[in-house]
Amino acid sequence: MKRVFTALVTVLLGAALVFGIASFLHVSNLQNAPVVAEVRGTAQTAQGVLPHAFIALSTYPDSLAGEHGPSGGSHPDWVSYGPSTDISLPAHSLVTMTITQYDSGEVLNNPYFAKVAGTVATPGDGTADGQMLLDGRPVSQVSPEHIGHTFTIHELSSPSQDNLFVNVPLPAVSDDAMPDSGYTKTPHVITFSFITGSAGKYVWNCEYPCGDGTYRKFGDVMGARSFMSGTVTVA
Amino acid sequence: MSDSVDTQPATSKFRAWIKRPYIRHVFLIWLAVTILIELFGPVQAHLMGAPASESMKAIEDTISLFTYAAAPVAALVISVVIYSIFGWRQAKSAGPSDESPAIRTNGPATTAWVLVSSILCVFLLIWGLGEMNSLAPKASSAKPIVIDAIGNQWAWNFKYPGSGNIESHELVMPKDQPIIFHVTSVDVIHSLWIVQLGVKIDANPFRVTLAHVTPTRIGRFSVRCAELCGLYHAHMQTDAVVLSPDDFNKWVANGGRS
Repeated sequence: MKRVFTALVTVLLGAALVFGIASFLHVSNLQNAPVVAEVRGTAQTAQGVLPHAFIALSTYPDSLAGEHGPSGGSHPDWVSYGPSTDISLPAHSLVTMTITQYDSGEVLNNPYFAKVAGTVATPGDGTADGQMLLDGRPVSQVSPEHIGHTFTIHELSSPSQDNLFVNVPLPAVSDDAMPDSGYTKTPHVITFSFITGSAGKYVWNCEYPCGDGTYRKFGDVMGARSFMSGTVTVA
Repeated sequence: MSDSVDTQPATSKFRAWIKRPYIRHVFLIWLAVTILIELFGPVQAHLMGAPASESMKAIEDTISLFTYAAAPVAALVISVVIYSIFGWRQAKSAGPSDESPAIRTNGPATTAWVLVSSILCVFLLIWGLGEMNSLAPKASSAKPIVIDAIGNQWAWNFKYPGSGNIESHELVMPKDQPIIFHVTSVDVIHSLWIVQLGVKIDANPFRVTLAHVTPTRIGRFSVRCAELCGLYHAHMQTDAVVLSPDDFNKWVANGGRS
């Protein structure tokens, strides 16, 4: 009887452990409320007339304006994207994204990510394929010496979904323009467009190491989700 | 007292040994397990897709051959374990059995084990050295194309110093042209793995390592990072695109745009 009881307790403890791990993984993978791109008409592109969707994000020198709430959550001093790091885009559409960049920065460790990649011309703003609009000027790259962040959607080598690689560098706000509190009144505004394919799931992240404390600034925000990285759902 | 002298001939002893029931049972299990491994073991060599280079073909052949050679050895261990668990299971009613006498100085068993192991190891060594030699770069009329492969958390990018310093997030190569990779990293250790081309080499921070391959098949293949490198290691992947020489020249002339 004692042996049966011991075996039963062992099995129950094992099941509880597995359930606990599964619950933790499930909770840690839950997405926040995504920013959903809004379709406003159609646009002529190289792939024909496509629905034209718009979406806006911002980068902040703290976590007070993003998905972590006004208190900034457990790390209010960490840099972050907002209003959410999870975005939802329509499939087979031209997506025009505007990012308002409020943060300062330093030298990019890989100059490749100072170049614009994967974008197409935004109708009516004078940009061409491979360019973005930086404070009203079409550019195809910026100086890697003074980068705030990047917005980089990762291409996945998968036969089950279309490739989607987009890289946009976000120049740093100069240190002189960074206020002691609040956000700069002269942020950089970056607008760019890209075309989505079929439905799929991707991740994006900042390719400028903007964390602290760990090897080559890959600590804190670079090792945690929902600050400088997130998901892209194309549906 | 004196030890009894065993005067039975070796052949008779072997015949008596082989007639023992447990030997027959172990042999039958060994045969079944060997056949299973021989049938299904080499499947693993083909899980990475159809080879797109001679290197990958040689790797798959080596994995298959080593699996065939190792199957009887692995099956012997498995069959003895299976028979030990079920054939020599202690009856519940019986108490713990006495420890069996230690086996010492079994000359034929030791000789067979050392001999078979040595033959297998030498065979694998010779095969491996031969394959490595066959994969070494050969003098070719085609001038190799140098591609710088740069890894950083969590993306690859590629530079073509001999083709106008084109930069690309995809690895684009011409078919039947030797390629030399200069592989490096700007942060932590990564590993450049071009799956179907059989290239896997570490990308070390601020050091350059070399790898080479000649693509033999046009198509789109996988490039991944094979060294755990942080939060989005699983997403550090892109495509390798092998084009015909003409299409590759057009790609270069177009500045790296398709």
